[in-house]
Amino acid sequence: MAQVGALILVLGALGFLVSQAGDNLRARSIPTGFDFIEQPPGIQVGEGIQTRDFETGGRALWVGMVNTLRIASAGIVAATVLGVIVGLARLSHNWIVQKVSSVFVETLRNIPLLVQIIFIFTVFTTLGNVSLDSGPIHGWLHISNKGLSVPRVFGLNGSFQWLAFMAIGALVARWAHHHQVRKQEETGQLGYPIVAAGGVLSVFGIVGWFAHPVMGFLGPVFGLIADALDGLPEETLQLILAVLSIVVAILWIRRFLKSMSSGGGRAKLTDDDWFRMIFAFAGSVLVAFAVLVVWPGLSSWLLNSGRDFFQLLDDRFGSGNGGRPFDGKRPDIVKPGNFANYGPAGLTLTPFFAAVFFGVVLYTAAFIGEIVRGGILAVPKGQTEAASAIGLKRSQALRHIILPQAFRIVLPPLGNQYLNLTKNTSLAIAVGYADVVQVGQTIYNQTGRTLPVMAIWMLFYLACSLTISVVVNFFNVRLKLVER
Amino acid sequence: MTDQQTTDVAEPEEETSNLPPKVPRLPPGEWMKKNLFSSVGNSILTVVFVLVILAITRGLLGFAFSPERRWDATATNMRLLFAGAYPQNQFVRMWVSLGIVVALGGLSTGVWRAGGRMYLTSLLLKGYGVGGAVVLVGILAPFSGSARLSYFLVGGLLIAASFAVQSATDEDTTVGTLAVGLVGVSIAVGSFWVIPYGHHAFIDGAQVVSDGTVAATTKGPLTVMVILAVLTYFLGREIADRVDAGWPRKVLSLSWLASPVVIVFFVLRDPDFDYGHIATTEVPIFLAYAVGGGLLLFALASPRIGEVGRIIAAVTLIAAAATFLTPMLQVIRILALMLAVFALAAPTFSGNRAARLRYVTVWAGVVLGLLWLITAINSPATVESNSSFFTGGLALTLIVASFTMILSFPLGVILALARTSNMPLFRVMSTTYIEFVRGVPFITILIFFSVLFPLFLPENMEVTEIAAVTIGFTLFSAAYMAENVRGGLQSIRRGQYEAAEALGMTTAQKTVFIILPQALRVSIPPLVGQTIGTYKETSLLAIIGLFDLLFVARSLIPNQTSFIGSVREQLLFASVIYWMGAYAMSRASQNLERKLGVGER
Amino acid sequence: MSDAASASVRDLSGATNMIECEGVSKWYGDFQALNSVSATIKEQEVVVVLGPSGSGKSTWIRCINKLEHHQEGRIVVDGVELTNDLRNIEKIRSEVGMVFQQFNLFPHLTVLDNITLAPIWVRKKPRGEAESAARALLDRVGIPEQADKYPGQLSGGQQQRVAIARALAMEPRVMLFDEPTSALDPEMIKEVLDVMKGLARSGMTMIVVTHEMGFAREVADRIIFMEDGMIVEVGTPEHFFTNPTEDRTKLFLSQIL
Ligand SMILES: Nc1ncnc2c1ncn2[C@@H]1O[C@H](COP(=O)(O)OP(=O)(O)OP(=O)(O)O)[C@@H](O)[C@H]1O
Ligand SMILES: [Mg+2]
Repeated sequence: MAQVGALILVLGALGFLVSQAGDNLRARSIPTGFDFIEQPPGIQVGEGIQTRDFETGGRALWVGMVNTLRIASAGIVAATVLGVIVGLARLSHNWIVQKVSSVFVETLRNIPLLVQIIFIFTVFTTLGNVSLDSGPIHGWLHISNKGLSVPRVFGLNGSFQWLAFMAIGALVARWAHHHQVRKQEETGQLGYPIVAAGGVLSVFGIVGWFAHPVMGFLGPVFGLIADALDGLPEETLQLILAVLSIVVAILWIRRFLKSMSSGGGRAKLTDDDWFRMIFAFAGSVLVAFAVLVVWPGLSSWLLNSGRDFFQLLDDRFGSGNGGRPFDGKRPDIVKPGNFANYGPAGLTLTPFFAAVFFGVVLYTAAFIGEIVRGGILAVPKGQTEAASAIGLKRSQALRHIILPQAFRIVLPPLGNQYLNLTKNTSLAIAVGYADVVQVGQTIYNQTGRTLPVMAIWMLFYLACSLTISVVVNFFNVRLKLVER
Repeated sequence: MTDQQTTDVAEPEEETSNLPPKVPRLPPGEWMKKNLFSSVGNSILTVVFVLVILAITRGLLGFAFSPERRWDATATNMRLLFAGAYPQNQFVRMWVSLGIVVALGGLSTGVWRAGGRMYLTSLLLKGYGVGGAVVLVGILAPFSGSARLSYFLVGGLLIAASFAVQSATDEDTTVGTLAVGLVGVSIAVGSFWVIPYGHHAFIDGAQVVSDGTVAATTKGPLTVMVILAVLTYFLGREIADRVDAGWPRKVLSLSWLASPVVIVFFVLRDPDFDYGHIATTEVPIFLAYAVGGGLLLFALASPRIGEVGRIIAAVTLIAAAATFLTPMLQVIRILALMLAVFALAAPTFSGNRAARLRYVTVWAGVVLGLLWLITAINSPATVESNSSFFTGGLALTLIVASFTMILSFPLGVILALARTSNMPLFRVMSTTYIEFVRGVPFITILIFFSVLFPLFLPENMEVTEIAAVTIGFTLFSAAYMAENVRGGLQSIRRGQYEAAEALGMTTAQKTVFIILPQALRVSIPPLVGQTIGTYKETSLLAIIGLFDLLFVARSLIPNQTSFIGSVREQLLFASVIYWMGAYAMSRASQNLERKLGVGER
Repeated sequence: MSDAASASVRDLSGATNMIECEGVSKWYGDFQALNSVSATIKEQEVVVVLGPSGSGKSTWIRCINKLEHHQEGRIVVDGVELTNDLRNIEKIRSEVGMVFQQFNLFPHLTVLDNITLAPIWVRKKPRGEAESAARALLDRVGIPEQADKYPGQLSGGQQQRVAIARALAMEPRVMLFDEPTSALDPEMIKEVLDVMKGLARSGMTMIVVTHEMGFAREVADRIIFMEDGMIVEVGTPEHFFTNPTEDRTKLFLSQIL
């Protein structure tokens, strides 16, 4: 009863607000359509996979999304590495290491991230201009108001063949690793799994450097696949996708039910369990419906891009791609004063990217450091004692007992930090890094489509958040300690 | 971690032991061997870290003390940084506001008898550390000879003083932490009277610098604040000694809650009341609600009223909703809604005559407070400024942060209760809201509220941008708050619910009297953490162009003609300010956590 | 009773000394937890330590395993003196097994992995060998069918028996038990005590802190009574339970029996 009342109240309030907004929007003749997605926006963005001459507004937003994803994923990796180091350093027995890491944490997490990002950005912009005199430091590093350049490695034509070669190498290395581990377990003699795997990989790398053209035969194979995709009728793919989506949902539900029933009878399903299953099934039906009816273009798009992809691979693997697979260049000034011409001469982080990246990485690392430290300390003392009582060394106890358990404790808050990091990259707007928020703002300033752009922002971030929490949850469930 | 344990053993805890232990304080050489050079790897780490620290310190000092730095820009714009465009001739209001906070702080410290004792030796150890650091600064910074000498002198004096005190006292002398803090603050404020920092001011848009100590308009009020803090502290202790500690604590807690509202709307903004209007409109409204509503509530709070009470309460709610259909004063509608809430909650607080009277009194107090507040907000202000809001800088930061915390707290509690309730609709609504808000970046919400919020309002309703943004902050913060409270709710064992049920409590009573108090107690540390987060997040105001501390530091000062391009200095200063606030709060929360025994195993 | 008597008259005078403590003292900060504790435990001897709560029983046996370090006195285990030297500690730890009140099994490893972890990584045994040894041990403690479960899935008594098996897997020469049954429900206590009795009969040197008087009577060669960090009285079970000399022992027994 109370629920229905509250629902009516909330819906009523929402409806009131929305109708109010509708009136106001109409009164001020503010456009709300999503048509800008299809029209050329006539804007430029700072950096990304494309920077100008966008065919559609959607494409420009996509560039912004890619930029967000780029900085977020790089940031997650870097912040994790740095954060783990900081967390371990805070537990170090070396007084100075411990103190330095705690100063690091206490400083960075108590200053607003935005201030840090702006500060880093300002430091870059107040640096000198690019000029021939202030060339790269020993030829390796170049810092100027145009950003940070380090040497970069880039693939030449043979790189694809070499990578294919390395893929085989990785398989062999895996086998070698496995073999060594087995040997150690079965005979008790010390094996060298890491050394063996590394050795195999490097042998393959070196041999592949010269022998990679032998992988050229892959070209025609990919060509065949491309032709096959070309021949496939659209409707077939549509059907396959639809059936696949429903089958996946059913399989998932089956697995879910199986996981609910342990040993004897099935545990009683709660509302939430039902909700999940119904949600999964309805979702899959919705996907199937979308593929078949709402968006039939999707399958032809998939077919076309798949065909293009394999044709590209055909080109790359085709004959005439011999020679060195990779080359490197140090940062170099091609045309003094004009940074845009750095070209392939070095890997360059723009000041915009660098400010946001270093900002979020340092800030998040401080938090991750605290989480890691807390996680390690949260492993019950009895575990350490038991480990030493059966004779494990400190390092062994750390590896086999403490870290595996600490990892389980750390995972949920770590996932939270990943979410925060991803959301925090949106502060890029303060320094003008071309992420989805900044590009969106440029677009709505031009077209007046504030509301639709905001809706796209929120949907995009919700999708990111959902993805991260699904991944984290997956591991969380898999690693959960078994209880009665 | 067993080693961790053994290194911590040195702290003496019980003083009543019959057998003296070996004193394990290591001489410096051994200490260094144990903590810095215990192995080859450790020694390398130590050396590398020392070198890196020295390099970084040198770089920072080189930056900070370079003659090119425009620290005078900071000094000249101090007022702008702290209070934005608040009119200079009314500035005393700022000091009064600070005075209110300081007085409340002093009283609370006294009443709660806060502050422990620390070992003098650990303080002296800090003395050595600070002295050494000052000397190090003297060595590393790019100073002229005489400046360097003065650093050596100060550092040397500190070390010598620490040494002298150490040799004059014995090992387990303790000192009060409050006394130490007071001495520190007094020295800092006292130095404003003695040391010629120079006097910077903006007069008619031109920078004026004169030698001598800081302006009297700064050091005078600051000194008053220190004295006020001391006086109120002793007053607080007196009160705590004389009367039962319960009610001063309650009064103080309420004063803290009310202080942001009072400061912002009555001290800083100063409403220009139209007393004729008050006499003809507000007073009658108050009487009607206090008396009429009071009688209604008195009846509804009777334990014997039963089903009829609910029906009456529901009718009240419908009537309150109906007020929105016809034009009338906003106050009347709000109070009607409030009355409906009180009517619905009446069974929870029902009881004997005294309890019912108390309920009615609270109602009258709420009516008075709300009426007063709404009238104040709707009256024109006597303090006018040329910017969009009457204050800016750090003051704006603090205002937005404190309002956000106060407003989002009840909302967060409601959301958390809804999410944990066993009514699926509530759960779904609350969960959707919380997960939505937590899934999007704050900046998108902030932009939404700053740009689009006015569109969602009825024609005749006006909301300033600050208010709109504060609502955005509140809605955002409430979702996170709800998660913290939910953590607390989940930590409560089933037995508590069952015990409450066994006592025959209704769901509402159980929640209000048994579950929430315990849950909130557990959630205090994460809630403080969230307060820190909100405080830091206020810096985002700068992105949407409000004149908060960061905006002043980044965009206003560096664009003044005399200080073009002094961004880095201002940002550093702002960082220090932000840092001090956040660090103080996080230390406080750590102490609190220790006191509450949360996180102990 | 005759069984107990036969146990207590076991002649161990010819056996070598397994553990020697001499004037061991330990402080936690200012608080003295052990006050000059001296005792010698022979090979194959079973010693039960009794005493009121807080008397330092746990502290003492944890010192023997070097989980705590003592500040004064000497502890010699199997001829090796406990110092801060890391190599000594490792040697001692693999010779001295310990069983905790709270089991302290590793919750993220299966029962089998719990038992084989140390043999594989410390003793460098081949996995196959370690596993068959572990299965044999599980058989010995009566739970061969639980090898592939996780500790969280076992009952308290089963967990404690796994913990005993885990300690035995290192083939220790001494076993320390710190109140191994106090966290257990009454019906589980017996299964653990039975395993311990079997262990005692097989000739293992054992120090057992326990409040199980039946076990002490039946199995112990000697009983040590501690209070306030000191050893108050030492004697055979017969002496101890029939006519203790010290008043404090009498008081303790009157409260507990
Ligand atoms: N880590 C520690 N820090 C400080 N005091 C400790 C510590 N561990 C033990 N103590 C103190 O040392 C004394 C002896 O403790 P111990 O655990 O050895 O007692 P016990 O005889 O095993 O008691 P119980 O039968 O309750 O287990 C107790 O007073 C205890 O409070
Ligand atoms: Mg004990």
